[in-house]
Amino acid sequence: MGWVTAKRLFFLVVLVAVTLAAMRVTIPEPARLTPLGSKFRDVLAPAQSGLTWLSRQARHAVTLPVSMYGAAGRSQALEQEVERLQNEITQLNEYKAENQRLTGLLNYKQVMVSKYDLLVASVIARDPGNWFATVTLNRGSRDGVRDNMTVLTQQGLVGRVITVSNTNCEVLLITDPRSGVGSLIQETRTPGIVEGTVGSSGMARIIHIPNDAQVAEGQVVVTSGLGSIFPKGIPVGRIASVSAESAGLFKRADILPFAGMNQLEEVLIVTKVFPEATITSPAGGG
Amino acid sequence: MPLPFFLILLVAALLLQTSVLEVVAVAGVKPDLIMLVVVLNGFLLGPREGAFLGYIGGIVEDLFLGEYIGLNAISKLAAGYLAGVAGERLYKENIMVATGVTFFSASAGLLVNYLLLFYLGLHVSPYYALLRMALPTAIYTSLLAPFIFGRIFRYFQVRSRDF
Repeated sequence: MGWVTAKRLFFLVVLVAVTLAAMRVTIPEPARLTPLGSKFRDVLAPAQSGLTWLSRQARHAVTLPVSMYGAAGRSQALEQEVERLQNEITQLNEYKAENQRLTGLLNYKQVMVSKYDLLVASVIARDPGNWFATVTLNRGSRDGVRDNMTVLTQQGLVGRVITVSNTNCEVLLITDPRSGVGSLIQETRTPGIVEGTVGSSGMARIIHIPNDAQVAEGQVVVTSGLGSIFPKGIPVGRIASVSAESAGLFKRADILPFAGMNQLEEVLIVTKVFPEATITSPAGGG
Repeated sequence: MPLPFFLILLVAALLLQTSVLEVVAVAGVKPDLIMLVVVLNGFLLGPREGAFLGYIGGIVEDLFLGEYIGLNAISKLAAGYLAGVAGERLYKENIMVATGVTFFSASAGLLVNYLLLFYLGLHVSPYYALLRMALPTAIYTSLLAPFIFGRIFRYFQVRSRDF
């Protein structure tokens, strides 16, 4: 090994060691967002919000060429007219869908008014990678958002707030491998912990279920209220499959969350929980 | 590729990654644009440059996220280095070769990422990590290679002619 190669190797080893140490030091803790990081997010939020809006519009525009594919025999003028009308319809449908979603959230908010104070928020950005599952919402400390607040949709639990800046906040979804939710199987009252799998899968799983517990596909999982972060009784998801844990002492079950984690657009933040707040029947239970 | 231009490309890729790519996600999986830029540059420039650009690309991503700083830096360093090694041994002018190298380098980088998660105390099931995340991400990312490889390759060709 030449002297130059040895020096390069030494430099690489030092760099990797320093990076590994930095990785350990920067393991996120709840409520840990530096003032610089907070400003960075606030500055980037409008750009992210704009790009997200643009991409959603583009998604609807992309469907247009497909619908036009079979119209080859029509005249150019007619095609343009159809295109214009299609665009208009797509846009109107988008407004309609948004209206329906917001009406649904508003109804849910009114139903839940005796149990929670809810704040409507829009998703403006997502985690850039596929390992983790976090989203950024357009509500921050100036709207009264605090760490560890529960986030949900009318279908079910979404996650909890982990960092808050002035104008936006970051939510750890229940499908993130770092997430853990004290839960129970609604029918049998069997307790367990719902943990995330990997961000891109959109799935969670409930672990440490005793072997003798009656667990079956289709059963509903709700929050247990233990651990004090999530209120009791929020629907989490439906069991998709059951398997044995590798140690053999417990079972685990894959869960398909009621709230579609990959299609989140608007969500509700629970800003206040009134005493004895419990949802008795899960929404989206079809 | 000049470093400032590379950094601008990285920030643009990051903004796209956090917003627009949500729309093109297939079964929840998004392509890794930063990995793609790193691997193709490494493939054309060599292992040292690939490792360097990989480290820079990864650290920018980590700083943007503000947590686990170094996680993406090391995994992309590995991917960039491997792509550079492949570039020294394989025919560079073929898009299919570049696509294959992107797939294998991205897979290796994601595998390093997975192992580092254990080091950080995050235990992800191998089924979800490898079959539901790493493999689909590597495939999706490599499928985009033919669309940008030609541009990057031509850029390097023009530059080598100019100097």
